[in-house]
Amino acid sequence: MCCNPLKVRSLSILLLLFTVFSLHAQPSAEEGKTLFRNTCAACHNKNMKADLTGPALGGTEENWADYPREDLYLWIRNSQGMIADGHPKAMELWNKWKPVVMIPNPDMTDEQIESIMLYIDQEFNKAPDVVITTGAGSDDKSSKAFLYWTLFAILIVVSVVLWRIIGNLNHIAAVNAGETPPEQKTLFEKFTSKGAVSFLIFVLVILGFYNTAINGIAFGRQQGYAPEQPINFSHAVHAGEQGIDCQYCHDGARRSRHSVIPSANTCMNCHRAVKSGSTYGTAEITKIFASIGYDPSTDKYIENYNTLSEDTIKTIYTKWIEDQYLATSDKTELDSRGNLEVKNQWEGIKSSLTNEFKSEIPGPIEWVRIHHLPDHVTYNHSQHVTVGKLECQQCHGKVEEMEVLQQYAPLSMGWCVNCHRQTEVQFAGNEYYEAYGRYHDELASGVRDKVTVEDIGGLECQKCHY
Amino acid sequence: MKAEQNGTWVGDKDLTQDPDFMEYSHKEFNEYLPLVDSLGDNRSIEVGASRRDFLKYLGFGLGAATIAAGCETPLKRAIPYVIKPDTIVPGVATYYASSIVNGGDFCSVLVKTREGRPIKVEGNDMSGVTKGGTSARAQAFVLSLYDTDRFRGPKKKEGDAFVDASWDDIDAAVKGKLNSRSQIRIVTGTVMSPTAQKSIDEFTAKYPNAKVISYDPISSAALLRANGTDFGIRAVPDYHFDKAKVVVGIQADFLGTWISPIEYAKDYVENRKIKDAHKPEMSRHFQIETYMSLTGSNADNRVQVKPSQVGSSIVYLYNAVAAKTGGSRVRGGDVPSEIAKALDKVAENLNAHRGESLVVCGTNNTAEQTLVNAINHLLGNYGHTLDFGAVNYMRKGDESELISLLHDMQEGKVDAVFVMGCNPAFDMPFGNTFAEALAGVDLSISTALTEDETTAACKYAAPAHHLLEAWGDAEPKKGHYGLIQPTIAPLFDSRQMEESMLVWAGSENLDVASEQPYYEYLKKSWEADLFPSSGESSFRAFWDKCLHNGVYEVAPTHAEITFSGDVNAAAGKVSVVKASEHEITFFETVAVGSGNSANNPWLNEMPDPVTRCAWGNYLAVPLTWNGVNAFDGLNGLEDGDLADLTIGENTERVPVIKQFGQMQGTVAIGLGFGRTKGGRAGTGVGVNVQKWLTTDDEGLMQYITSGAQVSDKQGKEEFYSAVQYHHTMGVKGIDKATQEVINADEAATVFNTYFGAVKQGPQGSLVERSIIRRANLADVEGFVHDLVHEREHHQHLNDQSIYAGYKELYEEGHHWGMHIDLNACTGCGACAVACIAENNVPVVGKEEVSRHHEMTWLRIDRYYYGDVENPSVVYQPMMCQHCDNAPCENVCPVNATNHSSEGLNQMAYNRCVGTRYCANNCPYKVRRFNWLDYTAADLWPINERGIDADADVPWAADNLTRMVLNPDVTVRARGVIEKCSFCVQRLQEGKLRAKTEMRSLRDADVKSACQTACPTGAITFGDTNNKKGDLNKKLSSPLNYIVLEEVNTDASVNYQARIINKDIDA
Repeated sequence: MCCNPLKVRSLSILLLLFTVFSLHAQPSAEEGKTLFRNTCAACHNKNMKADLTGPALGGTEENWADYPREDLYLWIRNSQGMIADGHPKAMELWNKWKPVVMIPNPDMTDEQIESIMLYIDQEFNKAPDVVITTGAGSDDKSSKAFLYWTLFAILIVVSVVLWRIIGNLNHIAAVNAGETPPEQKTLFEKFTSKGAVSFLIFVLVILGFYNTAINGIAFGRQQGYAPEQPINFSHAVHAGEQGIDCQYCHDGARRSRHSVIPSANTCMNCHRAVKSGSTYGTAEITKIFASIGYDPSTDKYIENYNTLSEDTIKTIYTKWIEDQYLATSDKTELDSRGNLEVKNQWEGIKSSLTNEFKSEIPGPIEWVRIHHLPDHVTYNHSQHVTVGKLECQQCHGKVEEMEVLQQYAPLSMGWCVNCHRQTEVQFAGNEYYEAYGRYHDELASGVRDKVTVEDIGGLECQKCHY
Repeated sequence: MKAEQNGTWVGDKDLTQDPDFMEYSHKEFNEYLPLVDSLGDNRSIEVGASRRDFLKYLGFGLGAATIAAGCETPLKRAIPYVIKPDTIVPGVATYYASSIVNGGDFCSVLVKTREGRPIKVEGNDMSGVTKGGTSARAQAFVLSLYDTDRFRGPKKKEGDAFVDASWDDIDAAVKGKLNSRSQIRIVTGTVMSPTAQKSIDEFTAKYPNAKVISYDPISSAALLRANGTDFGIRAVPDYHFDKAKVVVGIQADFLGTWISPIEYAKDYVENRKIKDAHKPEMSRHFQIETYMSLTGSNADNRVQVKPSQVGSSIVYLYNAVAAKTGGSRVRGGDVPSEIAKALDKVAENLNAHRGESLVVCGTNNTAEQTLVNAINHLLGNYGHTLDFGAVNYMRKGDESELISLLHDMQEGKVDAVFVMGCNPAFDMPFGNTFAEALAGVDLSISTALTEDETTAACKYAAPAHHLLEAWGDAEPKKGHYGLIQPTIAPLFDSRQMEESMLVWAGSENLDVASEQPYYEYLKKSWEADLFPSSGESSFRAFWDKCLHNGVYEVAPTHAEITFSGDVNAAAGKVSVVKASEHEITFFETVAVGSGNSANNPWLNEMPDPVTRCAWGNYLAVPLTWNGVNAFDGLNGLEDGDLADLTIGENTERVPVIKQFGQMQGTVAIGLGFGRTKGGRAGTGVGVNVQKWLTTDDEGLMQYITSGAQVSDKQGKEEFYSAVQYHHTMGVKGIDKATQEVINADEAATVFNTYFGAVKQGPQGSLVERSIIRRANLADVEGFVHDLVHEREHHQHLNDQSIYAGYKELYEEGHHWGMHIDLNACTGCGACAVACIAENNVPVVGKEEVSRHHEMTWLRIDRYYYGDVENPSVVYQPMMCQHCDNAPCENVCPVNATNHSSEGLNQMAYNRCVGTRYCANNCPYKVRRFNWLDYTAADLWPINERGIDADADVPWAADNLTRMVLNPDVTVRARGVIEKCSFCVQRLQEGKLRAKTEMRSLRDADVKSACQTACPTGAITFGDTNNKKGDLNKKLSSPLNYIVLEEVNTDASVNYQARIINKDIDA
């Protein structure tokens, strides 16, 4: 390396100047979070501890501590370049991870990389996520309810016993007094008397009406709905174990009314590398390939896939399934179990990608819609996610623990309204809310401790119905 | 009846206190239930119900509910893209800059698409031609994309009917039958596109005997010819209405239909807006015309002439101007003294504004156009208010060649005819003969999208793409280029018209193998012609910029001109329509134009701004005061009567409307109706009057004629669909018993006079309704004084509110409001159609309109005032006023309509139970009730797949038409009330945009659909709490008033009073 002192000096002055000028562009974990989500989260786990398509990023700084910081920057900007140059650390990583190639980020500045490092550090050293507590205490409640019902039943029995005792005592007292006591009815007679029966019917009618009304109101709601999907997609694996950010796949949530069900090409971002699943092997992931027209054997997208006959498609994917079967079972030829496996998997692919309206295998994966609002309701994800800064789990529950996705919330109007009554508006730092001058004054003077969605008109009809 | 009226009136019935009209004017709904009585037998609905029926339905209902509850919830699917395009985020609209070229109309637009479906057009601010304005036709254009009558693919004739064919069949047929000796005729409208012209040129180069015949359905050929001979430039000049202090229109409806109405309206209104009420200034507009046009209704002074007097009036005006400016006088110009007097005034005004006046003429007579050119020349207007720099290319056609084509076809001299997107068999008076002759031609191909009259006579149908699916360009004015880009993949197996032309020409420049051959061709064309002078570094950059902007404009070149017209010869050749008892004018209507939009239900249902008639053309007849109690129509005809109209040998039975401002001895009727093959919505609507058009010596189409005979009443029209007496407000009447003036609208309130207090309301406020406030320019100062005083009075009356404390709430956050400048509103109806498109407002059809059931959220009320013989007109867009003390809200038994903290009068459709109390209680009559299932929202098979229409489903229930629906707005079902929401979906979207970007709300975030559609900027919407916003600037004008302010509704819509600049001596 040439060591022209002038060059070095001028470079270091430049570097110094650069540092001075970029002082105001301080790296921050907040910025790092955004950058991480947009650039890294596709392949790297956001918990920074577990590997995903790419390695876990926790401890990156320590791993690179033996080399100059610039090497790390260079690695992030253009890893393949460094591998080609034969950098020892680069080679080490490449040998471990090839053929997975890290996408180059040539435009990323040093500050941005530092921000990401800060964020990685922060996430890596964070205590395990606090479990979202929505719905917590329900166990508690149900056990109490059980207690109440038991108490109620005991009291009923006691009162019937007491009532009988009082009746008997009265009877005895009357006999003792020499009077002729009224004829004493048996318990059975009392319960089948006209009065008791009418009372019972009355209670039943009331209960019936109550039940009809309650069920009528809930008509069409489907809390807990967990239909079978064309692909046995597990949120527990993707969002839970692998820790993929919700909004990596549901990328509409931050900018649209729809959270958006990811298109097959989004799946392919990872599944070009992950071709076989941990639970179902090739059975489920091949469905994605068959939908979009990707041949996993050759690692290429199939040209004019839409025009291929079903037999051709079948040949492509059964071959892949066969190969994988053989590869995992140390056999050289398909046995009867293997044949059955291939047949079943292919039938699964076919039945998942076709239905009464769609006869061809190529084309979109038609998922079963779970969350569905009536047509006269407008709900906007970006309002809640980007502006309101709500966590997805608040309405969707612990999706990262769901093997089969189910509707967590009732999605009823009462449920929406309740939340609007309680939720605080994210006033701070958003210039838009300057329009609410009086609230700002009241907050400042302490007359008011918070502004809820209700306070800015969140319960009005035309916020959602138009 | 005295000629001058103090108040305003809607029609003759309220002017004369017609008892029937007075009787029902206070009723919101003019008919009694049950509805079944008024529905025909074919529409049986069970309405009446006995107790037994009730129990039956109850039992069935419970049973059905039980069964339904036991059923599984239907499976709903969520279908993502396979490969999501980067530009599309589901749920977020994407806009594409494009242009609409339809007939002779041009409009530069942004097309709003949702999930790949075009659903709305907005004006494009970057265009130097339309400057962000739109028209009713442009707004309705998006619906024609989803026309169920469109061809699904190429067709060939077998016997009398079209059968499916392939493009190869057609190409083979064309190439097989044509050779270099073939006599080919290409019939087209004005070709505005330079690249389409290239493709035609390639075709004619290949086939030397091919000849292009271009014509305009409503012709301006005389104007072109006159400019050709007088100046050597055969083009429509560039008019600058914004530079004219005096505008004179002669038979030219330049605000409604003539050549480039969006552009002209925008420029014209620049000089009509009162910018400073204390120093008011505005232009003066004279209109000389034979019928009440939209432009005439906006004029300050209207000079009524008969068709037989048009030619001589122009000669007279020329002579009058020549006398003042030193020009040579010509012979002729004999006009009656009252017209002479009026024209002298016009000339006087013109002379006082030499170089800043403008005379435009819409007649189709070369000599008349030459005289008008001479007038402008004498006044020195060339180079100032009109010039030949950026000349207009929207009209280039000459229909005289069609007649020779007809003869050639009849004589068998023509081997092939290509009909390129025009419909001569309907447009021309000899249409039927033309179609017969065309059927005899060996090879005939039409590129029309639907099977129209001309296509039906062709051997092949080679349907072109709809413009929203196609690539293209346009040059509406010299140096102003508009790009057309597809906003959706072609719905059907159609092919770009230009591509067909190039394929048939066997062009080497067309790369047939590429994915979009014409796109490549278009790019090459722009790269060769426009890119070199653009100064951009690369063609890619240039192209991307043009595609983004939708327009590319180069500075106009200055054209030196010399006038060489022969006025003496011209004076002898002006049109001579023989005077007769009834003379007639045929005019282009604002809505359906020449008839090419006849299959568009939005336009059919849009009432004509002047006659207020929807679904059909009505014969406008003059009316006369009978001296006792009524205005009699011609021959005793009343509105909605049928009469026989005879001209020459043809007689048609036409419905009649009594039209104020229609001169005695004249009648008028609209063109473009009575299509025989107009499609599902267009066929049989109105009467075809094209057959009565005549040609002059030069072969040019004439739109005025004489010798019309109008019979007396021949019956009643079954469904009389004029809306002028629908939803009236502020009608004053005389109480028969007391002879006192009362409010007929709210008779119930007024008759309730137990305490003697109510009657006319405090200070007569119940009868002196503030609906229209207007003044003449000369009286503005006094008017402002009175208006301010009056408003103070109203506010004093209403300062006691039972809603005290609410004002404080409205000051937080936003409070929406609107301002409408009645001086800027020309009544063109663009806003009304935009509202329909934005808000999924249903089309109800002629029968329902006749029963007052039109659903429009925004109507444009037209009021007359002044001289009964020749009244002035004011247009008032009327929609929900979003009253802060809304009378509708507190009568709703279920609280379905209530107020928001942002000042919106909210309507929750799913809560509405249809009592209609609110509509009854609305003083502005803006609430609409879904009497029937207009949107077919209640139909079951709504989830059927495929976009093909099923013949059995009603209009708008098919999946193709439903693609036009705005997914942000609920489709309302039967039995609920609806009304203007101030485009709340746009407000929510705009607020969210501001929140997401963490900034204050800007005016640009929240614009209502009517506001963006308006070509003249008459409507301003905004947040009244935004002190720096546009709205608050407008709200400071002392000319503002609130409609019905005296009744304390506290409305959020302000109107700016109508000021006209009438020459009162004229």
